[in-house]
Amino acid sequence: MNLTRDRLHTIGWGTALAICFALTLALTFKVNAVKSEVHLANRQIAHLQQEKMFLETEFEARANQQQLKALNDTDFGYEAPTAGQYLESERQLAMLGKPAAPDAPKQIRMAENDAAGMPASMPAGMPAMVSPMTGKPVDAPAKADHAAHKPSLSQRLSRLDDVVARAVHPAGARRE
Amino acid sequence: MNAVSHASSFEAPNFAATRAPLRAAQINTSVTTGVASGRVALVNVRRQALVTARLRALWVLMVFAAIAALALARISYLGFGEGSKAAWSEDAASLPNRGDIVDRNGLPLARAFPAYALWFNPHAMGEGAPLIKSPREVAEALVAIFPDENVDQLTQRLSSGKAGYLRRRILPEDANRIHALGEPALEFPRENERFYPQGSMAASVLGYVASDGHGRVGMEQVFDGPLSDPATRGSPQMLSIDARVQGAMEDELARGMQLTNAKAAAGMVLDVDTGEVVALASLPSFNPNLIDQTGASNIFNRVTNQVYELGSVMKPITIAAAIDSGVVTDMAKRYPSNRPLSIDGFEIHDDKNFGASLNVPEALIHSSNIVTAQVGDLLGGARLKSTMASLHFNERPYIELPAKGFPLWPRGDSHGNWSRITTMTVSYGHGMGITPLHLASAYAALVNGGIWRPATLRRLQPGEAPAGTRIWKAETSAKMRQLLRTIVVVGTGKHANAGGFRIGGKTGTAEIGNRAGYDKSAVIATFAAAFPMDHPRYVVLAMLERPQATAATSGQRTAAWNSAPIVGRLVPRIGPLLGVMPDNTRDIDISDIVPLIANGDGE
Repeated sequence: MNLTRDRLHTIGWGTALAICFALTLALTFKVNAVKSEVHLANRQIAHLQQEKMFLETEFEARANQQQLKALNDTDFGYEAPTAGQYLESERQLAMLGKPAAPDAPKQIRMAENDAAGMPASMPAGMPAMVSPMTGKPVDAPAKADHAAHKPSLSQRLSRLDDVVARAVHPAGARRE
Repeated sequence: MNAVSHASSFEAPNFAATRAPLRAAQINTSVTTGVASGRVALVNVRRQALVTARLRALWVLMVFAAIAALALARISYLGFGEGSKAAWSEDAASLPNRGDIVDRNGLPLARAFPAYALWFNPHAMGEGAPLIKSPREVAEALVAIFPDENVDQLTQRLSSGKAGYLRRRILPEDANRIHALGEPALEFPRENERFYPQGSMAASVLGYVASDGHGRVGMEQVFDGPLSDPATRGSPQMLSIDARVQGAMEDELARGMQLTNAKAAAGMVLDVDTGEVVALASLPSFNPNLIDQTGASNIFNRVTNQVYELGSVMKPITIAAAIDSGVVTDMAKRYPSNRPLSIDGFEIHDDKNFGASLNVPEALIHSSNIVTAQVGDLLGGARLKSTMASLHFNERPYIELPAKGFPLWPRGDSHGNWSRITTMTVSYGHGMGITPLHLASAYAALVNGGIWRPATLRRLQPGEAPAGTRIWKAETSAKMRQLLRTIVVVGTGKHANAGGFRIGGKTGTAEIGNRAGYDKSAVIATFAAAFPMDHPRYVVLAMLERPQATAATSGQRTAAWNSAPIVGRLVPRIGPLLGVMPDNTRDIDISDIVPLIANGDGE
């Protein structure tokens, strides 16, 4: 068999075509394999959804209103809260406080969010996040630093009292 | 492969040409038995055997090739087409066979539930004994799971060899335990059933699904189309009912029934501004999960289907019509009340003598028939009739439920005009029968500024509420709110006065009419109320049928002692759920009404 240049070309093209065909075939198979995996996953999701619905319904049937009522009648005896247990507004809440007097407890004038060194989303006094692996706080150094700076509640309240005192006795008056 | 085909092609002509003569030679050799011819024959046999072997090898090869081709074809088929074909099936799997019905907060009240059943299939293991262990052992194991079953009965069923249900509905964990028994004959197919997780709650609203798969009686029947249509059943149908309020209503009605030995009870909570029914209860109820003999007799809905002469609860409607039309302009004006009214041979009298005269607030507080009849008389039949007709008291109530009672509407004379005595009896709630739903809708109009709206069991989105029709002026409605609140603060509704909820309402104790007249010992005790009166949001109605005088009601049979306390206990439970917080610092101003009232109680 003598390989002329022409023949070599033909064989080359044929091989390229065959390789492309094989690759296309493989790719198609792969695509369809993924498709069928997706389909399988969908079926699993549908099955789990049904299972979830099943459990949900069972829970609702066991915890239905009549059951809860029977439970309350025998074990708890909760009653509807009366008007005295409700607060309509901040003003009603304030009415529960005592007016400032020598023996009266110090008033909490406002809630304070100390933003220094702490993400704004995290309220003050929140326990530090503990790593489940080591059992130690995740960002311990930053927290420790912050804790050192954090004033106690009484300190914060006394600072508020300063503010109030300044408001009541303006600086000019104090100088006299 | 090449070697074989090469060889066979090389020898092929030889083989084809010599095959037939070879046979002959073989026969010859076997017959002649010469030495030389024997060697030739051996060669021939060898060649023959070789050819046969090659032929067989070719056959095997072809079979293998065919199998390979088939496998390849199958792989390609799977690879190309299979994934897209079954795509619809998971949608079908997640689509229930009937849509859910949920309350206004999305809590399912009715759902399609693929429950397990326990089925005995004696042919699961082919021929021979259906069970691995003895039927008695299996029965005992089953009774350990279901203690309410009977060992002997189960043994009998298991040994009978007949297929059938052992239990219609079992829990998933029970199914697992049965699976652990290792009996192939015990199967648990999943079956789609209609399930009502809340049991008998709101049964008269929901109805049930009959064995033909279609809804009956309640919203199951109303929504039957969308609930079974594959295009819409994927999303649930939302009711205006609030399950928590509905539950509280049923609790309190059942308690009231028990305390007074009443035969039946009905109640509802209606949103005054939209007409949405938040709770609707008719007791005794039935369990839609299981319609049995006693359940079937309780399917009747008293709120929408039963027509009652409701009595005194109608008086505020008459008074409102009189205020609206300018007949009553002065709340201090006094009407004689010390002797029964005699009209056309009939006598209208009160339960007791409330004194020489009463004004309108006093008449409402003491529930005086004599004074209300006089006001009705002054108003006139035509105006009272048009008010009653505009409240749709002359047609079936407006609600989606299929079972709606037709009112007893006074016929009047040949022109439809009401006679004087008809007008007067209708004015205090007799001679005309309406359903409790009619009354609730009328009370909503009475307190919401004077606009009547049809009741609905569909949850309405904001802005969807119907515009309604104006029955009374807003001024009249404001006056009625004061009067209704006064009745609860100083009158017959005292037992409904839950602290901070500003309840207002009217009691009504109507004797049940029969052919012989009115039965003094059998009454319908109704309390129709609304709260909070400074800005009414909800109408609450509680009705007891044939309550008895018991120690719990201090020996009284009237609504003041049996229906009003139901509302008084119910409202603190439902108010906060409906966004009405109790507040002792607010109330409607009734300071212009209270001074007009002399002390004294009455019904």
